[in-house]
Amino acid sequence: MSEDINIAESTNKHETFTQEEYMVMKNDLLRPIEKIGKAGKIWIAFLMTVFLAGVFAYYIQETRGKYTTISLRDYTMWGIYISNFLFMVAIGLVGVLMSAILKLTHFEWYRPLSRIGEVIAIGAIMFAGVSIIVAMGRPDRLYNLLLHGRIQSPIVWDVIGISTDLAASLILLFIPLIPSLITCRNNLKNLPKWQLKMYNILSFGWQGTPEQWKILKKTMRILTILLIPLGILICTITAWLFATTLRPEWDSTNFGAYFVSNAFLLSVAVMILATFIFRKAYNLEKYLTEMHFDKLGQVMVLMALIHGYFNINEYLIPAYKMSGLHENHLLSLFIGKDALFYWSVVIFGIIVPFLLPLFPKLRKPIPLTIISVIVLIAGWFRLYLIVIPGLLQPYLPIQDVPESWKHYFPSVVEMTIVAATFAGVLLVVTLFSRFFPIVSVWEVAEGQLEGKEEIINYK
Amino acid sequence: MEKYNYFIATCIMILFSITISNAQDKEAKISLTFEKADSLYVCKALVTSEGIPVSEVPVNLSVKRLFSNLPIGDAIATDSIGVATFEVPQDIPSRNGKLIIFANIVDDENYMNTETSGTVNWGMVVVSDNSNVEDRSISAGRDKAPIYFITASLLIISLIWGTLIYAVLQVFKIKRLGKANIE
Repeated sequence: MSEDINIAESTNKHETFTQEEYMVMKNDLLRPIEKIGKAGKIWIAFLMTVFLAGVFAYYIQETRGKYTTISLRDYTMWGIYISNFLFMVAIGLVGVLMSAILKLTHFEWYRPLSRIGEVIAIGAIMFAGVSIIVAMGRPDRLYNLLLHGRIQSPIVWDVIGISTDLAASLILLFIPLIPSLITCRNNLKNLPKWQLKMYNILSFGWQGTPEQWKILKKTMRILTILLIPLGILICTITAWLFATTLRPEWDSTNFGAYFVSNAFLLSVAVMILATFIFRKAYNLEKYLTEMHFDKLGQVMVLMALIHGYFNINEYLIPAYKMSGLHENHLLSLFIGKDALFYWSVVIFGIIVPFLLPLFPKLRKPIPLTIISVIVLIAGWFRLYLIVIPGLLQPYLPIQDVPESWKHYFPSVVEMTIVAATFAGVLLVVTLFSRFFPIVSVWEVAEGQLEGKEEIINYK
Repeated sequence: MEKYNYFIATCIMILFSITISNAQDKEAKISLTFEKADSLYVCKALVTSEGIPVSEVPVNLSVKRLFSNLPIGDAIATDSIGVATFEVPQDIPSRNGKLIIFANIVDDENYMNTETSGTVNWGMVVVSDNSNVEDRSISAGRDKAPIYFITASLLIISLIWGTLIYAVLQVFKIKRLGKANIE
């Protein structure tokens, strides 16, 4: 057998993908499920602690009253809860980019990244929903939104959009997982019985017959096509929540496109960060290669350019006219009290991701990951800049109101809850990767097999 | 003498707390009267203790809202004849025009906490202009939304969820095919 491998390697290395190579790959990709290291346990415990701190902070917020525990007032009735909601919705688009757009446009390098993207998207969409609920004045009346909501209301569009997108993402995550589950059941014998039983139940009697493969691929294709408009829809509806509210800053026909382009940029950044972490933590350098960083870096440049274009439309064109309604707000952003904030966001959130990854040396894993972290931080603050200064510049001047209404700075309770939503997303992604292969074994193998002769038994 | 200091201080403190607690044991009674003076709505709270009016007692006035009471201004102390006089705003909304006004004494040095209430017909009945509710416009109520809007949105939602349900059914089809293959 070993002779055969050597022959295959020496003669036709790039033209075949053998059963042996598949076995090595399978073992590499399943290894993270088999054992959890000390660092992994500490990481999960840390995330759980932050998450529980957020739950406790929410308990305090609801029992002691919002006026005393959080900084939201009559003008800034939306604070970091809502800007964080926008951020979560934005990074929720990563599933669309990685597993739908790249797949349908036949960019083969998507294969090891698609599942990572889908899991992040699901975590982000779930906690986007949570962010909305924590921001509600009366969460006990949530059911009224479902029972008596008006179909003409943007908030109802958002509820429908988010639940539909979450359902579609969950199904699209699950269906390609079915063959992987049977691989887990057959190969990971050292796991607890309940876990093997779970794989068995969830694999839905998968035998790998041609008919089953045909149905699986057809369903995946339909869902992939459906996911693109759905993902873009929830980003756009979220933008419409603002554009349909009476504030000069949000009075923009460009808002939907602006949000979508921002979401794509942040999605690329979050994908780079996740790829770097999984590559290091699970030793997947062979599968999440430097090529992926190179490609993602190029995508980042493109997305930064597109977002820069919409940013010019959003700010520079109204600034050229400087109409009375927009003047206060725009001057405050460009040269006023928010100027440092605004220009930092433009430089680190648009110019850095456009300029730096143009250099191939900066598209290597470490520099590109640092750029991505900067872009993500700037992206979070960009959404903060949309929400808070927008609310503090109403149509009528603010006068004769208490001092606390004129400014906004998030309270400790708000910051703890927002930190908990991040911990929640990371917890979803981490726990998923502990129980299921985070890189799809059969999809990667299929990519290796493309145009080659060997037929692999995926079991 | 110094060694008795602690003992004396303790005794004084005990005596002080007994005096204070006895002082706070005094019961006060509030009676509310409502009157219209010129164009103002005036509420007077007479505070008496054992039938004698008491002065310099702060009284809080509030009005019942849906879940809790909304304070009407700051606390006002009773005057020499034991009366605290409040001006009640004329624009407090109410469904039927009735307002339940509460007057209370809280954390006073001499008197125990007490509360009383009275109903008065000073609320402002809010009349909503619902004349356009029957129109099928974007701003109409849920059941009066434009027909084209309801139809289009329901059609899109059903198509999407139909596809999702189809995808779930395909999973069960995969299961059926797996079973058939074993047999």
